Amino acid sequence: MYPAEFEYFSPRTIDEALALLSTWGEDAKILSGGQSLVPMMKLRIASPRCLIDINRIDSLSGLRVDEGRLVMGALCRHADVAASALVREHLPLMLDAVSQTADVQVRNRGTVAGSLAHADPAGDWPAALLALDTHLTVVSPRGQRTVALETFLVDAYTTDLAVDEIVTEVAVSLPRPPAGGAYVKFEKRAGDFAVASVGVQLTLEGDRCSDVAISLGALGAIPSRASAAEAELRDQPVTDERLDRAADLVREAAQPFEDTRGSVEYKRHLAGVLFTRAFAVAADRARGSRVSTLHL
Amino acid sequence: MHIGRSLRSKEAPRHVSGRGRFVDDLVLPRMLHACILRSPYAHARILGVQGQAAAALPGVKGVLTPDEVRELSKPFKPGRYASGLRVPIPEYSGAVGKVRYVGEPVAMVAADTRARAEDAIGAIDVDYEVLPASSTIAAASEPTAASIYEELGSNVAWEGHVSYGDVDGAFKRAHSIVRERLTIHRYSSTPLEPFACVVHRTPELLTIWCNSQSPDVIYEAITEALGIDAVRVIVPDVGGGFGQKIHLIRKYAVMTALMAVKTGRPVKWIEDRSEHMMAGGHSCEQEFNVEAAVARDGEVLGIKIQDTDDVGGSISTLTIHFTNKLNNLFNTYKVQHLRLEGRSVLTNKCPVVPNRGIGKPGMCFVWERIMDRIAQELSLDPIAVRRRNLIEVSDFPYTTPNGNIYGSGDYHALLDKVLKNVDYGDVRRRQAESRQKGVVGPLIGIGVVIGVEPGGRNAARDMAIFPQSKQMPGAGGVEGATIKLEKNGSVVFTLGSPSCGQSHETTACQIIADVLGAGPERIALASTFDSARSPWGVSASNSGNNFHLYDVGAVHGAATRLREKVIVLAAHLLQADKSAVQIENGVVSAGDRSMSFAELGKIAYGNQAMLPKGFEGGLEATYYHSHPHADPLMLPDMQGRVRAQYTFSSAAHAAVVEVDRETGRVRVVRYVIVSDNGTLINPSVVDGQIYGSAAHGISVALGEGFVYGQDGQLQTLTLLDYGKSTTLETPHIEIEHFPVPDPFTTLGQKAAGEGAAIPSPAAIASAVEDALRPFGVTVRDLPLTPERVWRMMHGSERVRA
Repeated sequence: MYPAEFEYFSPRTIDEALALLSTWGEDAKILSGGQSLVPMMKLRIASPRCLIDINRIDSLSGLRVDEGRLVMGALCRHADVAASALVREHLPLMLDAVSQTADVQVRNRGTVAGSLAHADPAGDWPAALLALDTHLTVVSPRGQRTVALETFLVDAYTTDLAVDEIVTEVAVSLPRPPAGGAYVKFEKRAGDFAVASVGVQLTLEGDRCSDVAISLGALGAIPSRASAAEAELRDQPVTDERLDRAADLVREAAQPFEDTRGSVEYKRHLAGVLFTRAFAVAADRARGSRVSTLHL
Repeated sequence: MHIGRSLRSKEAPRHVSGRGRFVDDLVLPRMLHACILRSPYAHARILGVQGQAAAALPGVKGVLTPDEVRELSKPFKPGRYASGLRVPIPEYSGAVGKVRYVGEPVAMVAADTRARAEDAIGAIDVDYEVLPASSTIAAASEPTAASIYEELGSNVAWEGHVSYGDVDGAFKRAHSIVRERLTIHRYSSTPLEPFACVVHRTPELLTIWCNSQSPDVIYEAITEALGIDAVRVIVPDVGGGFGQKIHLIRKYAVMTALMAVKTGRPVKWIEDRSEHMMAGGHSCEQEFNVEAAVARDGEVLGIKIQDTDDVGGSISTLTIHFTNKLNNLFNTYKVQHLRLEGRSVLTNKCPVVPNRGIGKPGMCFVWERIMDRIAQELSLDPIAVRRRNLIEVSDFPYTTPNGNIYGSGDYHALLDKVLKNVDYGDVRRRQAESRQKGVVGPLIGIGVVIGVEPGGRNAARDMAIFPQSKQMPGAGGVEGATIKLEKNGSVVFTLGSPSCGQSHETTACQIIADVLGAGPERIALASTFDSARSPWGVSASNSGNNFHLYDVGAVHGAATRLREKVIVLAAHLLQADKSAVQIENGVVSAGDRSMSFAELGKIAYGNQAMLPKGFEGGLEATYYHSHPHADPLMLPDMQGRVRAQYTFSSAAHAAVVEVDRETGRVRVVRYVIVSDNGTLINPSVVDGQIYGSAAHGISVALGEGFVYGQDGQLQTLTLLDYGKSTTLETPHIEIEHFPVPDPFTTLGQKAAGEGAAIPSPAAIASAVEDALRPFGVTVRDLPLTPERVWRMMHGSERVRA
């Protein structure tokens, strides 16, 4: 359980990190929390020749509010999100996600940006944040760009990051009330990757669902939005019949793979169940109820 | 009195403060680190292994190839775990000629660091001819299936049976025949510490530090494979055993020893988690066909069981899962007529090993599932059916038709208490309410089962079933303990068996404190197992649920013997009659005269002038315990009857579950145990055994397990994928002790090591089936994953593992 030999660098600035990345190119990996990368290296699934550890770049730490957005630096840990009063107040969907991600040790080290850049099909952050208005800031020697999460996620374990680019920030727009969200995850046991997960973020005006986003996790090669189900609900009164139709559309949108966590049939079934439960919690929250995270 | 109290653990403080000493903590000068190249294929011929490129890498000091394993060592002879093997197939430590499962060890590298050894593994070139793999009993049993051992002709490597009473007669008398098909899947206790060995070879001696549960197996294996007689086996702290470290670990001990011989340097080998998951041994996947002949009132007149065991890709543990069923063959029931047919089928999967109860959870599963089925088919209450068949209090000591002698017990009382503690009537009421039309929310179910827990191994058991076997592994059991009153008055002792974390030091200390009259704070374990210093016999094994019988007997015997010595010396020094000498808390007294143990110690070891005439200097005693009631039937008779084990604890379990109608998730909301472990020496230690074994059994029933693809590739290589329950899924285990002392053991004690692992899978199965009653389904297979339960509710035939 030892990684293959590699060079290790610990730059103090983003510019230094970018310079190293330009030098090493495909042979380098960025090390932030290391909760996926290091086990992969120990199992020798990944054997990068160079690790660029960004943990000493102070400017990447923590989270803040900026112009109606929650801005998380590339070193913002899962635990930082869990401890944030702002997240608790405005983004309960994120609190649902983080409280079910792995274990305390992983949450203390792992980073939100790292999780997105790793793009695990069953990862909680890619699935959860896809239900929110999420953008990443990416830098390279060529400059800085902003990319929507939906564009950023390309395929399983694949993003649109170029070889010389580093994610520096992840920004999530704070939903305007009366909004509510929920992330419901079905896992074999506490701390596991999702068998399936569904995020729902909605705005309720009276009985009308004025806006809704539905994200699917572990239900395809990459987390995705159930757009047809969203269209069924958007700008419509919430009724049981409509929700049933939406659940059908969610099941149709799911494109899961069979693995040790479940069959295609079961995961697709779960997609509908999780959607219904997530929608109910999100709606209750939008109406002002303090509903705690649903543990299935 | 200290016996019966929950004395605080003697060994826990060093473990919780990181002061335990495990094999990996050992560092020897010039020590090399070894790593193993394992087969990526489930079944393949090894055409050639080229190690030169690896050997040339920096830091690499040795490469061990299959050819060298063949040249430098002798194969193991089939032991008692392979009793009944048709052809005596030799088995080497590493793969020679063929690989038969993914992860089978093929070659070893030793280098100056572990990382370099791992680098070098990738440079070994192996030429394989891939063969078709069989990953299920059905596939392996096909006449066209590729032979896993060509010598045997068929992958059905063993077939046999045992039969007691007049089974055919019982079936003729039956009101009805209840039939069932059941399976138990592959799992493991996944000890936190995987296998570990350090070997140091000098011209005079081969010393091996190894986390073996059975040092005897390592001792024999080194001698057998390397032809070395001067072997010293040291077992430091062990991070969990559960049976995993009894048998298969010998392969790695021998490979590490071969590397030490080859390189002339000490060698350390530490197995990693994934290696342990793929090749460290699994429990046995078992298929049963059961037929019970029953009377109208639910009395079981006779039973026929066909047991097919998937033993994986090795013949070395061919029949243990069959023979271990003799231990609890009749469970708690007075049924007189039984036939058990066995088949052991080789597959291209990890070899099977003993795992907390071995075949016994399967045997209990058969009995308890069939009891529920009988109740359903005859429209009887499931508890009443069990009661109709229980061995009654007045029957004890009770001899089962296959020769086991149950010393004591009160099975009706166990059921009474468990029903009361779980509020059985109340659960049934809530269940009825929840089944009203239109009620949403979880489905409620309750399962109540009962089981015996055999303890104390008879080494002749396997012989009894296979009289054609020529090798006598021993009979009954022998185990030692040494206790010494030191010069300074403290007491140290050595046990004949290693500890894997079951608080043996604490338990032994309580016995010594009471028998010898010493304060427990002045009593300590002198050393963990060391074959050069520990008094050990054939039962020197942390296995077979042995500690309570052999080690407790040995400690008690040694303490009694030492007490006699202390009294002789004290009577002389206090000028009193021996009968007048009292010992309490490390002080001997007679009338108003007294002396401390320290004063006695100074004289015993240093002042010959004050010793009584003829008194042997020193204050030390060793005692080897054999069970005084090992007869009758220590050796098998012509009817195949034998004492498989010597004590029989028992317990009733009640599980209350809630099933999510939409996801199939089972939540265990209450888990209640009433347990008879005989006289409790340390209740808290016994509780610990019950908590752990129940947690494992429940996890086995609900989700954990090894999953193989059709190609024989293991899909559950990590603990994450394997799916063991965490504390969050594990219910609070509610325990009531109901000790009925055993009439034949030293203190009335019975076993507690395998404990709740035996009945708990059956309890969960029963509860889930009860919850799903509205769907009219039967629980036949484990684990009851959410998907399996969902499919049962929705009538799908296709149930994945």
